[in-house]
Amino acid sequence: MLRRWWANDLPLHIMVWVGLVFVLIFAYGPMVGLVIAFQKFVPTKGLFGSDWVGLDNFHYILSLPDTRQVIYNTVFISIMKLAAGLVAPLLTALLLNEIRLKAFKRTVQTIVYLPHFLSWVILSGILLDVLSPNFGLLNDFIAWLGFDRVFFLGNDHWFPFVLVGTDVWKEFGFGTIVYLAALTGINPALYEAAVIDGAGRWKQTINVTLPGIVPIVVLLMTLSLGNILNAGFDQVFNLYSPSVYSSGDILDTYVYRLGLVNFDFGVATAVGLFKSAVSLVLISGSYMMAYRFANYRIF
Amino acid sequence: MHRKRMTAITAAGVLALSVALTACGSNNGENENAPAANADKNKAQNTTGNSGSANTPAAVADGPLVKYDPPIEVSTVRKFNSGLKFLPGESWDNNIYTNELKSDLGIQMKNDWIVDDQQYPKKLNVSMVAGDLPDIFEVNLQQLQLLIEADQIADLTDVFDKYATDLSKKAIENGDGIARKAASVNGRLMAIPNGGGGRDDAQFIYVRADWLKKLNLQPPKTMDDVINIAKAFANDDPDGNGKKDTFGLSLDYNLFNGWSGLDGFFNGYHAYPFNPGGPNSTGLNLVFMDKGGQLDYADIQPEVKTALGKLQDLFKAGAINPEFGVDSGEKSAALATAGKVGMTYGAFWVPTWPINEMIAKDPKVDWEIYPLVSADDQPVKALSNNIVPASFTVVSKKSKHPEAAVKILNFYMEKNYGESRDEKYHSQKNGDETIGVFGLSPVSGGFSETNQDDYYSVQEALTAKDPSKLNPTAKAYYDSVTSYRAGDVKGWPMEKLFGGDNTSTYGILGQYKKNNAFMTNAFLGAPTETMVRNGPALRDLEVKTFTKIIMGEQPLDSFDQFVADWKKQGGDQIIQEVNDWYKEHK
Repeated sequence: MLRRWWANDLPLHIMVWVGLVFVLIFAYGPMVGLVIAFQKFVPTKGLFGSDWVGLDNFHYILSLPDTRQVIYNTVFISIMKLAAGLVAPLLTALLLNEIRLKAFKRTVQTIVYLPHFLSWVILSGILLDVLSPNFGLLNDFIAWLGFDRVFFLGNDHWFPFVLVGTDVWKEFGFGTIVYLAALTGINPALYEAAVIDGAGRWKQTINVTLPGIVPIVVLLMTLSLGNILNAGFDQVFNLYSPSVYSSGDILDTYVYRLGLVNFDFGVATAVGLFKSAVSLVLISGSYMMAYRFANYRIF
Repeated sequence: MHRKRMTAITAAGVLALSVALTACGSNNGENENAPAANADKNKAQNTTGNSGSANTPAAVADGPLVKYDPPIEVSTVRKFNSGLKFLPGESWDNNIYTNELKSDLGIQMKNDWIVDDQQYPKKLNVSMVAGDLPDIFEVNLQQLQLLIEADQIADLTDVFDKYATDLSKKAIENGDGIARKAASVNGRLMAIPNGGGGRDDAQFIYVRADWLKKLNLQPPKTMDDVINIAKAFANDDPDGNGKKDTFGLSLDYNLFNGWSGLDGFFNGYHAYPFNPGGPNSTGLNLVFMDKGGQLDYADIQPEVKTALGKLQDLFKAGAINPEFGVDSGEKSAALATAGKVGMTYGAFWVPTWPINEMIAKDPKVDWEIYPLVSADDQPVKALSNNIVPASFTVVSKKSKHPEAAVKILNFYMEKNYGESRDEKYHSQKNGDETIGVFGLSPVSGGFSETNQDDYYSVQEALTAKDPSKLNPTAKAYYDSVTSYRAGDVKGWPMEKLFGGDNTSTYGILGQYKKNNAFMTNAFLGAPTETMVRNGPALRDLEVKTFTKIIMGEQPLDSFDQFVADWKKQGGDQIIQEVNDWYKEHK
């Protein structure tokens, strides 16, 4: 018995220990730094020498006139992103799945996946040009159709939608591939059975395909709920400007301008902690719901 | 990713400038302002008559440049910018400064770490947390404050008085002693200021003279002229392509800057706001004016409202790019160099970036430079804040030889400005390439009037047609100017900096100086507590309001609401703190 454990299980345990140590050092170790959220952090005094201020940093953030708007923007933008980011790849995957021509399917798959590899730094430059009201391609087209030119990146009303649209455009190829992979996992016998029962394409999709990938949809949604307060720093930071602060500013960019540029680490940490706490609640909640309604579980 | 846009304009300006100004190719990326970078890193011409160390009485046994025996070790930390290059075989640990500091002064430099200039402040903060400070290091104003509060740096007053050479003492008294004041607390010198005392951030009007000519317009004499020219440039098709695709005044989301800034425009209406926008701005560089002994915030004065109204008119008339609110500095520069904009306000370095790019491509393009103009019969004053240094060299309290920093400064000043000055301490040739070595010195100093003095000596040499008396740096300017006049378009930027009397930036800056036509921030202290806390949020409020007023999305009268909000959200407290400082330091 022991010998078998020695031969089979010990190597596995050793492998786990290595990972565990890394997690402890690099994921749990830095959490000590969270005490900064409750301090007036002064670099010269250090982590444990700085004065404790209790919840002052949190009060300070809540006292700022724009905070409520910024939290609203963050939640609004990320819920829209979450919804659009769930529907777009799912539809694409379902449509692509119906295509029999393999070469075409692969080509489309690759093309929609490509933007995923571009950074927002590059994309922001391109988008600024494409969306420009005076010289932009898109606006030239809109004007040609006879509509008024739209100042997409400088207009409070449009800006959040531009964020969602460009984010979906950049990332939906990635989700599509995940769903396509899930679709190949559905047992073909189910389709055959459906055909024998007289189901057409539409009925097959509703009754076989969709139920088949529900677990993966639930999984992706559960995971993204944990990120609900991350509306995408890279993207917003590269695309926004003072004229759209009122609708486009999210927690991360707000704190970056308020705290990090001026070395106000306490405030920045407080917001990070706040976001983590909210995310923990959301992801726990959604996991429990997923367990109850979709019988989805990890452990 | 936050490295990306950081000081985009100024960095680009610095870069272009350092390339253009031959010898000064490295080590100035850390400066917030191009002028400061330039001013303190060039050589001064007006230092003849300084006796260096020779006449200092204390120099007998333990003097300013006496060698340590046995040698001592001094630790430091360094930062570099992307333009850094070494001579073959040289490095941070083996170069003209480390070697000669050791052989001449008995000081062995030890670099604890070296990082690029973007990471330097953060890395240094980490060192502060760890309490692991080197003997000598460079800090910004905020870090200086922190270190003073934490009592971690040495009081240099006595060692400086005892060891500094006349040349070093003169350098630190730059700008009527403002540099020294900025580095002092209660009269005690806590750091060696790097630069400061200059006026190189004052603005000028840059106009496409070929467009003026085409539309039969005269150069601007009043603010009304500026507005009329801007409108004409937008509406009268100055580029003659039959399309309404040009703008009169260059502007971008920073609002205030050395390129496409509004500083000079506001100055024309006797308003002196300064609070750059952009996602990376700090909101800590506020300007205060002395109004009958009381300090008041420059950006909330009624004159600002007047000027904003004029800008709103210009925007409505189509004279400003409707997209300026989302355009970065690079973007507004690209628009101008594409030939779509005919006028901008800017600092002295604008001819070296970005408009120099146009001259080389199209010889018909002609940018001329004009002094700021006034809206009424009151003379115009240019806002200038460069007199306050942006960075400092400090000495750790634990250092055994605090005087070593002063001695290194003496060495640097003597070799670059003193009687034994030698170009090899400033820059050296490696084939065709000129490599700046001055930045390798662990401590450096300089004079704010360096460029201005070079301008005067270039002028003299041009009149006499005799460059023999010029220092090596000024000689390079002279060569560029004469080559431009002989037909080489590459010399254009130097012609516009050092060439004509009324047509070059330093010519006009000299006139500003003669008339003392400057408005300076009356508050010269470090950012106050409320400024640090509320400054960024207040900056947002201001930039949003100004942008929307200019774009006509908010009525001009919303300025009054902004003033009330600004005061309520911490502004009154800031004004109070600033006045407390003022009473103490008057």
